[in-house]
Amino acid sequence: MDVEINLKKIILFIGNYGSGKTEVAVNFAINQAKQGKTVRLVDLDIVNPYFRSRECRDTLESQGIKVILPGDGYLNADLPIIAPEVRGSIEREDGITILDVGGDKVGATVLGSLAASISRSGFDMLLVHNARRPFTDTVEGSVTIAREIEAAARLKLSGVIGNTHLMDNTSTEILYEGCEKTRQVSKALDLPFLFISAEQRLLDGLDMNRIGVPVLPLTRLLLPPWRRKEKLGPANFLLG
Amino acid sequence: MSKKLMKGCEAIGEAAIYAGAKNYFCYPITPQSEVAEYLSRRMPEVGGVFLQAESEVAASNMLFGAGATGVRAFTTSSSPGISLMSEAISYITAAELPVVFVNIVRAGPGLGGILPAQGDYFQATKGGGHGDYRLMVLAPSTVQEAVDLTILAFDKADEYRNPVMVLGDGMIGQMMEPVEFPENYKPKYQDHSGWATTGCEGREPHIVKTLFLDPALCDKHNEKMAAKYRRFEESEIRYEEYNMDGEYEVLIVSYGTMARICKTAIEDLSKKGIKVGLLRPISLYPFPREAVLKAADRKHVKAVASIEMSMGQMVEDVERAVAGTKKVSFFGHAGGIVPTPDEIIEFVSSLAKRPEGV
Repeated sequence: MDVEINLKKIILFIGNYGSGKTEVAVNFAINQAKQGKTVRLVDLDIVNPYFRSRECRDTLESQGIKVILPGDGYLNADLPIIAPEVRGSIEREDGITILDVGGDKVGATVLGSLAASISRSGFDMLLVHNARRPFTDTVEGSVTIAREIEAAARLKLSGVIGNTHLMDNTSTEILYEGCEKTRQVSKALDLPFLFISAEQRLLDGLDMNRIGVPVLPLTRLLLPPWRRKEKLGPANFLLG
Repeated sequence: MSKKLMKGCEAIGEAAIYAGAKNYFCYPITPQSEVAEYLSRRMPEVGGVFLQAESEVAASNMLFGAGATGVRAFTTSSSPGISLMSEAISYITAAELPVVFVNIVRAGPGLGGILPAQGDYFQATKGGGHGDYRLMVLAPSTVQEAVDLTILAFDKADEYRNPVMVLGDGMIGQMMEPVEFPENYKPKYQDHSGWATTGCEGREPHIVKTLFLDPALCDKHNEKMAAKYRRFEESEIRYEEYNMDGEYEVLIVSYGTMARICKTAIEDLSKKGIKVGLLRPISLYPFPREAVLKAADRKHVKAVASIEMSMGQMVEDVERAVAGTKKVSFFGHAGGIVPTPDEIIEFVSSLAKRPEGV
């Protein structure tokens, strides 16, 4: 059963460096496209050299998602390039535009130049939180980083997403523990806790009452070169 | 301590702090800038010093100065940056200073590109700088191993008074994996009171230098260093054997990220009925020559292959180890293209069909 998550037409995923924004953003994009929406995904990562959403461009495009990237010759550059289509995409009336922003305040600086257009169009800026990462393993650390990002982006957060994981070592216990920490972070920030994400393999044994928010099923799309591709999962959010 | 999800670069930074490193000098370059980013926050928290230099030449010479005091000090860079440091590496090795270098290798030559590569094998294991020096070179294939080997690098540098290099391809620096730090670690070989320049009040001055105008003394100094490298060869060989219990037809020698991709290929090949063993050197210098020879010199081995993210560098050490007893083939890509499991499967399948080697 699907859960309606009412978000505005521009959705920004931001967070601590390495919190899993890209994996959440691309899975969320696919999820929305499968529900019949027109989806554009903008790779605005100006800080990471590898594991950016551009690496799963083919999978995204196969789902009808328009991926907005720097020009083809610059896909593997570590340069802060903002393609001209980015601003155009933000101002479009149809469908939704998802912005995958690089980590920390440094990565969020890129939003400063787009803040006015983003504000005009209406947006939701979502904090992706992984409680197993350095600096965001405490509520205080997470709040500090959230505030720094807001200042750099010149935009205000509107919700929190839990993405606590340890890659292949993630267990349901780690999900519960992370979920609790994200709940505390959302309280400290006085923002709604919208959903968590979890790999498909963990969904069966998950006690939804303990999670208390919807779950976005994740298919890992940003894989190291020794891992075989995974099949895309179902589109629906699970009910909390 | 509970497991944390860390990027290779961050984990290396934290491992250095864990090992007691107090000085870190760096100039940023992709794909290792996250070490600097991480340590710019963490070093002040532990009372250490992080200094961003104006270039890699400066960073490596700061390291020369810090190393002369016997403090645990290190630098990190990526390929072109290590080339700039090569002069200092030669000097630091000649001065017998216990420091650590980390190279998160990107595509070369020249500026190349920012994607992962293993094209600095020759530079790391056989020189880069001038003169008869060697670095101990340790190559991790997981983020956890990057932690363990970084800690080991500091101990070994102190034990031998010789720089140690941790050589990881870009993937090791950029990927994220869960890591744990060992409990109750204590730095070893910390007594440098016999040579370090720590202030000479009340004692004879210590002098750290690399100039020997008397050729006999310079020869003697080279002999002393060579004796150290013989001890490396005797005591510091490290490697992993994978799928080598039974009668493997093909022996792959591969290190770092490339070895992990080979493991995926080996699993698939065994489903197709082709048994393949993998020897993964962890110490690239000293190279596990005897182990490679022993692994290749079995009747059931039809072929030996070195698989690398380069145009063929370690393959020369594999050939030297195998010493003509088996034919050694090579497969690899450079430029940031990482060989895929399917490419390896195709290449190894073609070797398995080949009649017994020389």
